[in-house]
Amino acid sequence: MSVAQAASPAGRGAAGRAADERFILLGRIVLMMALLLGWELAGRFVDPTWISMPSLIAVRLIRWAGDDLAVHAATTVAEMAMGLSIGVPAGVLAGILLGRSPLLATLLRPIIVGFYSVPLVTLAPLLILWFGLDMEPKIVLVAVIVFFLIFFNTFSGVQAIDRDLIATLALMGASRREEFQKLILPAASAWILSGLKIALPYALIAATVGEMIAARRGLGFLVTRSASQIDMTGLYAALIVLMLIGVAIGAGANALEAHILRWRASGR
Amino acid sequence: MSVVAKIALEGASKEFTGRGETVLALQPTTIEIAREQFVALVGPSGCGKSTVLNMIAGLQAPTAGRVVYDGTPVSGPNRQVGYMTQKDTLLPWRSVADNIGLALELKIRTVSANNRARRVAEMIELVGLTGFERHYPGELSGGMRKRVALARSLIYEPETLLMDEPFAALDAQLRLVMHDELLRLTRLRRMTVVFVTHDLGEAITLADRVIVFTGRPGRIKALREIPLAHPRDAFRVRFSEAFAHLHEELWNELKDEVAKGTDR
Repeated sequence: MSVAQAASPAGRGAAGRAADERFILLGRIVLMMALLLGWELAGRFVDPTWISMPSLIAVRLIRWAGDDLAVHAATTVAEMAMGLSIGVPAGVLAGILLGRSPLLATLLRPIIVGFYSVPLVTLAPLLILWFGLDMEPKIVLVAVIVFFLIFFNTFSGVQAIDRDLIATLALMGASRREEFQKLILPAASAWILSGLKIALPYALIAATVGEMIAARRGLGFLVTRSASQIDMTGLYAALIVLMLIGVAIGAGANALEAHILRWRASGR
Repeated sequence: MSVVAKIALEGASKEFTGRGETVLALQPTTIEIAREQFVALVGPSGCGKSTVLNMIAGLQAPTAGRVVYDGTPVSGPNRQVGYMTQKDTLLPWRSVADNIGLALELKIRTVSANNRARRVAEMIELVGLTGFERHYPGELSGGMRKRVALARSLIYEPETLLMDEPFAALDAQLRLVMHDELLRLTRLRRMTVVFVTHDLGEAITLADRVIVFTGRPGRIKALREIPLAHPRDAFRVRFSEAFAHLHEELWNELKDEVAKGTDR
């Protein structure tokens, strides 16, 4: 134990670290295969009624892929994308506006806090009654949830800006617009990004919850349809597609963050 | 004193109100600073030195009296001054070169990108940061960040430079280097400088006039012209006899205030 510990962390150089990384990658693959194999065996030799089997799910996914899976996936992703494209700019704008105007922030605080205290997914039935069964209510739900998450982060970010920086720019002769471009927005960008990282999975939740309540298309619709038919294989297949979308979104958010915050990473 | 002072405090005082009590930070103070003069403000912590700078910069309004710049009362941010605060207020997401060039990007100056790049390069060389153009502030030492802040204040050649203990965080050697650079640059560019410091030696090395403040609530206790000839050698000037006499004289004014100041 102690020998292994002494040998592992430092002093072995890049070659050692690369070997460690290969070992970890290999280990992860083996574990995942073992999990799938265990699942498959449990389904085959115990009872597939409630847990289905990876092989059945794979077959189902292939069948769906030839059918209308793309339409459902595209519907969910489009709802997310459109909701985000409304909610993110609105949240950033409101966060900056209220962050720069203490009076407005104080006036609006009870309304915002009250509104946000409602579990927002419970707005889904209301929005469906308002906007119908298609994509609109899901887009609005995504937009509302994303708005609040981005708003609170942007607001905190703007309030955290060093007042000396604001004074420095004012003395240099920056206009309001330049102050916004060169200071407020970049200074708040780290906060906006962390808001975005939280908001992305919530956007997926909002879109699918909306679809689960009432929809004609979408991955959430596939989930409820499969469940209502007690089609466990279909249910798991839909969940796996949702998982893949979630993983892709997370990876995309990390890459974006690494790019925008490269000044921070290079420091230490 | 010149006919019209570059900067004048006319009975300017400052009170701060917080948690229901009002604290007098600066008693009514009158100072006149001539064009191209280098004035150092010395005094214990909390004596209102920084308040004087903030009022000249137009970041704080005097509670009573007024601050006049070029014959006009200051109201709102004073764009004729460059202000180097105690903290180096660099933008962490901008590289050294982009921080230094910041003021030249602003619309009120309209400097072409080529021209800007050339002036940034000159400045970087001047403050000895060649090779660090693309580094971010987070990658620099405290002394290097100070030099970036100095370069950023100098590049747009404000006619007046306000400096609030700009070199307090530097080690002694680097501080001397910076003194030398500051003396050279401010004389070259014919700037007016108001320099706040704790350090009497620093004040005498740099200034044409030293103003000693009392502890809080601050008021002027002593005012002394520094007749040391220019150009001064920041490395040697402190070993001259004249320097020693000035230091002795001003220290006598300052030491009681410092002792009082530590009670707070």
